[in-house]
Amino acid sequence: MSETTTATQEVPAEIERFDIIFRIQHVLMFTTFLLLSFTGWGLKFAHEPQGLSSVWIRVWGGAEMAGLIHRIAGIGMLLDFIWHVIYLAYLFATKQMTINLKTTVIPLPKDVLDVVKNFMYFLGLSKEKARFGRFSYAQKFDYWAVFWGMFIIGFSGYALAFPMQVSYIIPQVASDWIWQLLWLMHSDEALLAIVFILFWHFYNEHLKPEVFPMSWIWITGKISTETMKHHHPIEYELLFPDAAKKNKKH
Amino acid sequence: MSNNRLWVIVAPLLFLALLLLPTTGFCQDSAKCLSCHSAMKGRITIASGALVELNIDADKFSTSKHGSLSCTDCHLRFTDNPHAVPSSDIPQAVLALSSKISSKFKVDPVAGAACSTCHEEAYKMLLGSVHGKNIIDKHQSDGPLCLDCHGSPHYITSVKGESSPVGRKHQVETCGKCHGDQKIIEKYKLEENVMESFAESFHGRKLFLGHTKAPVCSSCHGSHDIRSKNDPESPIFGKNKLATCGKCHAGANEKFVPAITHKRPGPIPHYGEKLLIILTIGVFAFIVIHVLLEAFSDIRDAIFRKKEEEE
Repeated sequence: MSETTTATQEVPAEIERFDIIFRIQHVLMFTTFLLLSFTGWGLKFAHEPQGLSSVWIRVWGGAEMAGLIHRIAGIGMLLDFIWHVIYLAYLFATKQMTINLKTTVIPLPKDVLDVVKNFMYFLGLSKEKARFGRFSYAQKFDYWAVFWGMFIIGFSGYALAFPMQVSYIIPQVASDWIWQLLWLMHSDEALLAIVFILFWHFYNEHLKPEVFPMSWIWITGKISTETMKHHHPIEYELLFPDAAKKNKKH
Repeated sequence: MSNNRLWVIVAPLLFLALLLLPTTGFCQDSAKCLSCHSAMKGRITIASGALVELNIDADKFSTSKHGSLSCTDCHLRFTDNPHAVPSSDIPQAVLALSSKISSKFKVDPVAGAACSTCHEEAYKMLLGSVHGKNIIDKHQSDGPLCLDCHGSPHYITSVKGESSPVGRKHQVETCGKCHGDQKIIEKYKLEENVMESFAESFHGRKLFLGHTKAPVCSSCHGSHDIRSKNDPESPIFGKNKLATCGKCHAGANEKFVPAITHKRPGPIPHYGEKLLIILTIGVFAFIVIHVLLEAFSDIRDAIFRKKEEEE
């Protein structure tokens, strides 16, 4: 019986993982991220006496221009984020996206176990690597880091860019310390974001031998089923249960 | 040799000789003084124990804002006859002022008071300021009069220029000579940490990066009529801040004003930052260890475990 269904279920060579809207959102996210990092870096270390920051800021057209670029890119990134959230809400509302534990990007206890499993493997204590659903813990971490960044850096950045407007809505009791806190949040978490992207995202999506020089999924949006079988076996089994069973038999 | 041919040789030489004479900027008696003082080098110690710089850089003086003054315009005690018995022909106002500021001038308080003959308004403001009162009322020798901020009166340049010690480029260092000096801070119980907090503030950072609208010290604190932060007339006292900040930030309100301060961060930002640092280090440690271990395990697999997979 299973033989017949296997024959009818074709396994395509590749399937779409990110639609065009997600891809555009990603491009907007990384262009604005790079602009913000480059211009913000100059301001973060402006008071260091070596004077390199002023040279770097001159590359960006001087302090006024760098500030303008930073603000425009910041607003662009916030809008991109809001667009993403609204688009997700729309996908859920129209049932084009549903929550399935095997495909969701929401962190689950399994992800913690996967981290432990992988560390055991890295250290040679286990011969089994963790098996992932649609999103590995590395990818979930990457995704939610942006959310964290948008709340901490994005909204503090908005307050710092438009302090006069924001000053009307902050409570009186907070006005003595909130500005310094906003500035520390913005600057410290921005540094964390840059370090995170440099190490985590760049290693996982660019430098890893199997993806070098980069995972092309950001342009094509497509993942080959072969790759999926290796890196996202749980999703593969969910989408092509018969083919997966067949493979196991062999 | 005919007379005509002689002139052909002599005229250019005369012309060159004219070029060597002190140029037009000087008054007649400046030229006289400078004929010695532009050539003299070094300092001498006078009876009161003060060191006196003898050299005047004639070129720098002539291009300075005061280049067209004659020496005796300020050095009123000296007549044209150099270093003679002090002249008694000194305006009463200058003489009176010179005795008030004598704690600052060991050499020639009259010359120090002479600034007031032209800069009457600024001098008056300075004397009423917290800086001036320290000198006049408390007879202290630290705390600035004109020259401590503006530099040598012989080489004053436009405040708009790059070289001016009170211009945008150098004003912060100039104020920092005292306000960053631990001895002065302790002696007068000044707000400490002002130089560091300015450098780390948005204002300071933007100034160092060359932002043309970033403020310097005097933008908020005033200059000649500077007052203590506890003086109700100070531009940074209480509600005066609203107007002071409002000069650049139209509509500045009471919740906006605390955004920039020289005070050290309170407990919330302080511990908030500690928390963020712990988080940053934690995340950083996790990702670096993960990436390195994964890379090493990939290398290990490529070398040692390849065969197992192929089999």
